[in-house]
Amino acid sequence: MIKRHSTSFALVLAGLAYFVPTVAGGAPAAYTACTTIAILAVMAYGADLILSYLGEVSLGHTVFWAAGGYAAALLSVNYGWNGWATAGGAIVVAIIFACLLGLATLRTREFVFSLVTYAAAVVAMEIAFNWSYLGGSDGIVGVPPLDLPLFGWQLGGGTNDELWLIAWLLLMVTLLFIHRFRRSRLGISALMVHMNPDLATALGVDARRVRLAVFVTSAPISALAGWLYAYQRAYVGTDMFESYFLVLMLTAIVIVGRRMILGPLVGTALIIVQQNFFSIGGDGDKIVLGAVLAAILLLWPKGLVGVWDLLASRRAQAARPTT
Amino acid sequence: MSSKLIGRRQITMGATAGVATLALPSLVRAQDQSIKVGTIFPLSGPAGPNGQAVTHAVKIAADMINAKGGVLGRKIVLVSKDDESTPAVGVTRANEMVAEKVAVVIEGWNSPVTLAMQPVLARANVLDITAVSKADPILAGQANPYAVRINSSNGQDGLVIADILLNKLKAKRIGFLTQNDAYGNGAQAVIEAEMTKLGKPWEKVVTEQFPFKQTDFRVSLANVKQAKPDAVVAINAAESSGMPALIQQYRQAGIEGTLVGAVGTILPTVFRIAGEAMTGVVSADIYFPDLPPFDGIKENIEFVAAYKKAHNELPDKGAALGAAALEVWASAANAAKSLDRKAVAEAIRGKTVPGTILGNLAFAANGQAQHKETVIKVVDGKTAKIEVLK
Repeated sequence: MIKRHSTSFALVLAGLAYFVPTVAGGAPAAYTACTTIAILAVMAYGADLILSYLGEVSLGHTVFWAAGGYAAALLSVNYGWNGWATAGGAIVVAIIFACLLGLATLRTREFVFSLVTYAAAVVAMEIAFNWSYLGGSDGIVGVPPLDLPLFGWQLGGGTNDELWLIAWLLLMVTLLFIHRFRRSRLGISALMVHMNPDLATALGVDARRVRLAVFVTSAPISALAGWLYAYQRAYVGTDMFESYFLVLMLTAIVIVGRRMILGPLVGTALIIVQQNFFSIGGDGDKIVLGAVLAAILLLWPKGLVGVWDLLASRRAQAARPTT
Repeated sequence: MSSKLIGRRQITMGATAGVATLALPSLVRAQDQSIKVGTIFPLSGPAGPNGQAVTHAVKIAADMINAKGGVLGRKIVLVSKDDESTPAVGVTRANEMVAEKVAVVIEGWNSPVTLAMQPVLARANVLDITAVSKADPILAGQANPYAVRINSSNGQDGLVIADILLNKLKAKRIGFLTQNDAYGNGAQAVIEAEMTKLGKPWEKVVTEQFPFKQTDFRVSLANVKQAKPDAVVAINAAESSGMPALIQQYRQAGIEGTLVGAVGTILPTVFRIAGEAMTGVVSADIYFPDLPPFDGIKENIEFVAAYKKAHNELPDKGAALGAAALEVWASAANAAKSLDRKAVAEAIRGKTVPGTILGNLAFAANGQAQHKETVIKVVDGKTAKIEVLK
């Protein structure tokens, strides 16, 4: 009974989310902000699978994000593929990269894992920067508006209010996927490998296989975000490998709290709304972002949810009669 | 008692609303009269000082234009934003400019940021003038069919360096120290192609490549020395670190060939760091505030005086390009008697725009400004004294 209610509640919430830009005034700025938040949140969900369920910090997810963007740009500009085909291309490329990187990092843990994934991102960026097929340091210009033909319908577009539908759909599908992942065999095994490796081994769970599977599962999520971002911006460049996106995705996950289904979405929204509507200048924004991240990691490692728990326990303590 | 209080509050609110209603039309009229012009440059981070100089210069140019009656009889009001040298941030700022309903956006220090902003502005039908960013695809027309760029192109720069090497220095054995990316390799390819076109005998005796962030060139320079070149072209866009270090180490290595800096790389920051080692360096650029022909252009004299008064230093090329961008737009809008993107762009592309600080500025059909580069030689690096090389 409760389960049925929570499902319909989630569906209503998801439906209402579609009208956020309309409620926010319906101006182009509202559609732009909402579309950007949806895309960057999906990017963060990719890295979230690794951070929340494997307990590792992947500094290489910008590779998958950029791979999705480059696949969309290359295949649409050079070969005229439509949106479905470029999305397929983005997923395939991301899975190949994830298999390679996942196998290379199979035996690494924690610090070394982060270092190797970071090195992979640096190498990938240098390759994109110097390879003229990928546009070199100029990147790829002239990405056409997104076209997604569907049973005679033409979805997609070039402006943010046209892309909002696609961004919203992508976000909802991602949320559903993460929700299912948490209850899946793989999700439970991953958490077990992370939280209690001895128990996992005793139960016959192959830790390496689980880690590789989670890694490969996470890559297409960030890649699809990059795919849509390429259409939103109509241009991809090597900046997609840069720390701007890396810091954004990690902060978005950590700020609210790990293993929260809406965590990365709320985190991304907080950061983008601050940067777009309450900016205090480029340097100031970075100081705020860095300070917030440091404060949360030092004071409430569980994220903002940790603050809530703390307040709740204090209230409970205060309510208890003193002896 | 309480009803009285509410009454008073209502009166106050009513009066406020009344004043607001009365004031509104005049406010709207005042806003109608002015024209919003947007600037998007890096105002923070490593390129922040450069972007700030350009933004200051646009402000001074706006004051100069407003003092002369503005554009179409209306005053220019500037809206300046910071792209943080980050394409994603630039896109956000470009969207904000669209929301602000600016008549034109003057932008571009980093090419990737310009390339990312172009489609946003083009789709919103906002005129977009690129001041500094040099990448070739900016004018290719894929993202913006009405693109305009004030800075020189790699093609023009290559021709000038080829002319310096073969005609002015009469060099035959030529070496290259080239930044290994699209900018550096592209610039070298253009110089080589232009030298071949000149039809004089020359030989490439050495090419050493390095990444943008490199500051230690001693191994490369040892190879250059061995090759005994007559002249060496240094293509390095890191004007605050790599380029001055390269020049100092070039002197320490005792290489005899003339060092030729790629167009636009011999900036004040290079002089400040490399100092005496600069003596003898040959290069070219499209703007020098106090050298001919610019010291004879009325608009430039006025601009340099105003800039110096406001910031206590001479404007550099970036600043001049920013000011010229606004002047070009203002002049074209006045000529077209319109603020419409297409009309103003057509008054610039393929036309000559008079009365800018760079003189009468001609534009190719693709929107590229046509410059006459000034070739210079550093006479004394310590005091940054340069002379025009005839």
